[in-house]
Amino acid sequence: MKLLLDQFEKAKPWFEPGGRLEKLYPLYEATDTFLFTPAEVSDGAPHVRDAQDMKRTMITVLVAMMPCVLFGIWKAGHQFNVINQIEGTTWLDDLFQGSLLVVPIIIVSYSVGGAWETLFAVVRKHEINEGFLVTGMLFPLTLPPTIPLWQVAAGISFGVVIGKEVFGGTGFNVLNPALTARAFLFFSFPKAITGDEVWTSVVADGQMIEGFSGATPLAVVAQNPDSVNILDTLRVADYGEGFTWMRLFLGDFGGSIGESSGPACLIGAAILIIGGVGSWRIMASSVIGLAAGAFLMNAVDMSGDPGEFIAFTQLPFHYHFVMGGFLFGAVFMATDPVSGAATNKGKWIYGFMIGLLVVLIRVANPAYPEGVMLAILFMNVMAPLIDHFVLKAHVKSREHYLRRFRPHD
Amino acid sequence: MPAIASALGARFVSIYPPEFVGVKPRLAVKEGDAVKRGAMLFYDKRNERLKFGSPAGGRIDAITLGPRRVVTEISIEISENEELETFNRYSAEDILTLSREEVLEQLLETGYLAYLLQRPFSRIADPKVLPKSIFVNGMNTAPFQADIHVAVTGDEAAFQAGLNVLTRLTQGAVHLCLAEHPVHVSSAALEAKRVRIHRFKGPHPAGNSSVHIHHIDPIAPGDKVWTIKAVDAIQIGKLFLEGVLPATKVIAVGGTGIRESNRQYYRMRIGGELEGLWKEILSEAPVRIISGDVLSGTQIGRGERLRFYSSSIAAIPEGRERRFLGWLWPGWGQYSASRLFLSTWFRRAESWDLNTNLNGSHRSMVMTGIYDKYVPMKIMVDYLVRAALAHDTDETVKLGILETDPEDFALCSYVCPSKMDIMGIVRNGLLEVEEEGL
Repeated sequence: MKLLLDQFEKAKPWFEPGGRLEKLYPLYEATDTFLFTPAEVSDGAPHVRDAQDMKRTMITVLVAMMPCVLFGIWKAGHQFNVINQIEGTTWLDDLFQGSLLVVPIIIVSYSVGGAWETLFAVVRKHEINEGFLVTGMLFPLTLPPTIPLWQVAAGISFGVVIGKEVFGGTGFNVLNPALTARAFLFFSFPKAITGDEVWTSVVADGQMIEGFSGATPLAVVAQNPDSVNILDTLRVADYGEGFTWMRLFLGDFGGSIGESSGPACLIGAAILIIGGVGSWRIMASSVIGLAAGAFLMNAVDMSGDPGEFIAFTQLPFHYHFVMGGFLFGAVFMATDPVSGAATNKGKWIYGFMIGLLVVLIRVANPAYPEGVMLAILFMNVMAPLIDHFVLKAHVKSREHYLRRFRPHD
Repeated sequence: MPAIASALGARFVSIYPPEFVGVKPRLAVKEGDAVKRGAMLFYDKRNERLKFGSPAGGRIDAITLGPRRVVTEISIEISENEELETFNRYSAEDILTLSREEVLEQLLETGYLAYLLQRPFSRIADPKVLPKSIFVNGMNTAPFQADIHVAVTGDEAAFQAGLNVLTRLTQGAVHLCLAEHPVHVSSAALEAKRVRIHRFKGPHPAGNSSVHIHHIDPIAPGDKVWTIKAVDAIQIGKLFLEGVLPATKVIAVGGTGIRESNRQYYRMRIGGELEGLWKEILSEAPVRIISGDVLSGTQIGRGERLRFYSSSIAAIPEGRERRFLGWLWPGWGQYSASRLFLSTWFRRAESWDLNTNLNGSHRSMVMTGIYDKYVPMKIMVDYLVRAALAHDTDETVKLGILETDPEDFALCSYVCPSKMDIMGIVRNGLLEVEEEGL
């Protein structure tokens, strides 16, 4: 280690102002501090500093995502083996097969996104922020395993450049970069991820060809005939296997790589909350918002009004909760501290509105039954407004507080 | 009650004019002059009544000028038979009959008015201002601070006299803020008279004056409040009781940069040399010496002398060690206020040897809502910081910057995972409001 450290110390002058590779300093800084904690000391009060830094924070988020990643890899492989009727596979085979499908997507996301991040850091002379480690992993988890790799590259490029860097980099972005990337693919290449159909890889003659498609649970609901109770339809959907609540919760069905497993998301939520990294207020309030929206819709009687709306209005809260990417979005996407609301009260409103909007979009817009992405992006845009009003109320209450001490005025 | 060791062997004392923020010093002495203790060394060009007395009697040894010929240090060699400048002497009871003007006169004449700071902005009290109240801070929650209950030992009468002086300066109340559960107990503090005693409990920054003021008599725009450390009230009391500038004060010396047996209270010459002390008590490793506390104090060099405002000195190791893949380890050996380290869960109660390492690198502001719990006031730190960064003085005032002092944000800077200089941002914000006027 000493040897490596010495090499880095020796190379340092090259990257410092005046050095030959001065321009690449952000890259040097990122690698150097990745390998060794920085030697930098505080340059004034407070003279001592906490052990927590951005690396620690973002690594924790990454750790929280690991259950989703591992489950996603296993699921991709499992689905592949089931659909291709490969007999006698164990979970290890599934995991191996899944890695072949998913790992390239993650590698492309990290390397293409990382290249943009580095390019901007070098040109803009800011440091490479660890937040990218999270974006680069979140994005693949929202994609189906059959996504063409060039689309992954296009998506992450859009997410990093337009979603983040044009605003000035991490900390300045309005929208969640990973969701921006997904939204870009969603609207640009709807065939791959519209959310109403899913693709599972199919092998023919040893060549991977067009995917095999099946309806997602959300699409099943959206296409439900009015006269049939939605839960009956779900029970027999997916070629008779049925989308029971438990199956939806466990997440072993087609769909995006990492967002279908309830247990994995809940483990992630626990890690984020216990670690104090993810906002429990946002998570809790989005569930409350979802419940409010679902109960509201359940109460609306639309039986006399034929249309596409009916099935989603019938869907009970606990189905909304486990369907689509709600849990994943609420735990990992909505809690992004930069694009979310910053005030504690604002976080309650922000999360609640996300939950509510998810239901509203699902009910009112069956063309895009996956409402989570749109709900979060919309609330990302609204978050500064929410904070603005919270701040106004805070200033009022400060004035009120100060006035209490001067009764003579 | 802990013992107070004597460290009086100083041959030189110094006064550092830049410590008096806002004062434009004009010298009244030159090198080689003989001065009595208490005789004017310099005065404030902006307020010529404010004079600063020599901390010792002797000969002016050296006057150091900094950039733009600003006086940065006046060093005085103490003579064996120290001569004293005399000021008015009063008994503790007489003080109560003094007029505000008489009290101010004595404080201006000696420079001891500088012990009183005026909020907002924490500047030396303006004699033309009638403060709505005066807050005496007898509670130190920051690490390694001189405890008033200890420092008052032997000077109980002077402390009460000092409080008497303060009562003459305001028509409002003099508030003495003390800890709910002091480690040591002195009746001189707990039973102080003619002041309103308030007891605060809780960890740092419960002992900060801003917190006391906020909960007792908060500063609205236009309000002026004066603050003083209880240990400094002792010095003012001595001045009025004895009619001469006191020569010594009690300071607390702490931190792991100091040998364990020497982490204790010392009675020292005001402005006295520290180098001799360091030779005896500083540990071998590279250390940072801090005048004040490790959260909001100032770094000083080994050769520097005791500051006017200093009632504590800390020394902690410089931490330049680099750990391999630091972000990866579970964190048994790092102290953190967050819950991201094993140490938080299993070693919270232990004492830790913290050093000056930044423990990370500077990053953009990412985490939100983590600072508010370290500022126990009706203040939203995230937005105050953002407004200050945006130079939006109207907004910072609305968000309560006038109620604060940079020291209140020390813990915010401490916990910030982006290693932002929140104290510095607020300090700048305050400066901008001050420059712009209210």
